[in-house]
Amino acid sequence: MSKRKPKPAATPPHLVLCYAVTVILFLCAVQFVVASAKLLAVGSLVVALLSLMTTRHLLSKVERAQRQQSLLDAQLIQSQKMAAVGEMSSGIAHEINNPLAIIGQEVEWLRHLMGNLNTQGLDGFSECIDSMNEIGKQVERCREITHRLLSFARKMDPLIQRVDINKLIEDMTRLVEREAVQKGVRIIRDYWADLPQVSTDAPLLRQVILNLLNNAVYAIGRDGNITLTTRLAASDALEIAVSDDGCGIPKENLDKIFDPFFTTKPPGEGTGLGLSLCHVIIERLGGYFSVTSEVNKGTTFTIRLPL
Amino acid sequence: MTATPKVLVVDDEERFRLTLAKLLAVRGLDVTTLGSGQEALEALRQKDFDVIVLDVRMPGMNGIETLAEIKKINPMIEVIILTGHASVDVAVDIMKLGGYDYLLKPCSLEELTDKIDSAFERKLAREPQDRR
Repeated sequence: MSKRKPKPAATPPHLVLCYAVTVILFLCAVQFVVASAKLLAVGSLVVALLSLMTTRHLLSKVERAQRQQSLLDAQLIQSQKMAAVGEMSSGIAHEINNPLAIIGQEVEWLRHLMGNLNTQGLDGFSECIDSMNEIGKQVERCREITHRLLSFARKMDPLIQRVDINKLIEDMTRLVEREAVQKGVRIIRDYWADLPQVSTDAPLLRQVILNLLNNAVYAIGRDGNITLTTRLAASDALEIAVSDDGCGIPKENLDKIFDPFFTTKPPGEGTGLGLSLCHVIIERLGGYFSVTSEVNKGTTFTIRLPL
Repeated sequence: MTATPKVLVVDDEERFRLTLAKLLAVRGLDVTTLGSGQEALEALRQKDFDVIVLDVRMPGMNGIETLAEIKKINPMIEVIILTGHASVDVAVDIMKLGGYDYLLKPCSLEELTDKIDSAFERKLAREPQDRR
């Protein structure tokens, strides 16, 4: 698959004018030099240089604004994608729950019937029971998926309270640490001292942090480091970073990882809903969720929250 | 002496309510089944029930509307709503209208029978002692 080269950003017409003026001024300077009008030559050279500096400064500002715009556009597209998927998945989950309920009940009834049968000496009966129990287990698995889908889609009104971020992260870390240590994964804390409290939804944020920690442990597998950083990013925002030195995310997957159902785990091990749910949560909390990664070097997820 | 609750199951899916009735019956409950909110209200004018298990999504009268009407006819009946999804707004509606509780479909039989038992206990506790 050939990759299209990104088109260079078109230079706005005003900047073209600025460049043109600069060039003219330089030409004037040359002209004055030729005509031996020293004062005018120096004068127009100075003006030409000033014009050049201003033009370059303006250009860099325009480029920065364009970059910010495309970042915001990407965020907007992602949230629109989420909303559409949310609607659809909620409808599907509802539809599936009804037949699931019936299957589950038929399994219960079969259990009851089989309990009443005289099965002495009936060959293969225990296998029937085993198959039936397996059906029950798979129904349970489907149920978990639909309930997760539905919680993804439902209108979450965050319950806002003052939260100590460092403590919240530490609580979640302790949950994960015991198992992580057994795999040789070290968790390093780099908390900002005196981090101000944040008005946010603690349970939802805990869900996000726990998800990121679990992903990090999975990415490392055995023997590695996870670094948790909190810092005051601006007078009105703080940043939380969860960094691991695990397998990293390939470039072609980077813009897919927040998509619902996208997972690189083998079937049955992950629903692919974790990161997309995290993205939705952070957005609802008024923050930004982003990722940087390099294959075989590691991954860093950054959450930016308003204070 | 433990009384047996008279249970009414209302769900538009026939297979669901029939199998549920069988499962509840072997546990000793007195179960009737109906397929719509409208039929439930008509039945209430003839028979008395202790606990009604109501699906929230039904054609015609949905579960919430049926709950409201049931409470008008007999406010002592405890109603359990079966819903495909748990949303805070639906839960608030149920509580405001006097519903006992709601359960997320699909739910295990144990969860449902536990809820029916506690709903029945509450009904017995709320009924005036001399009502016979």
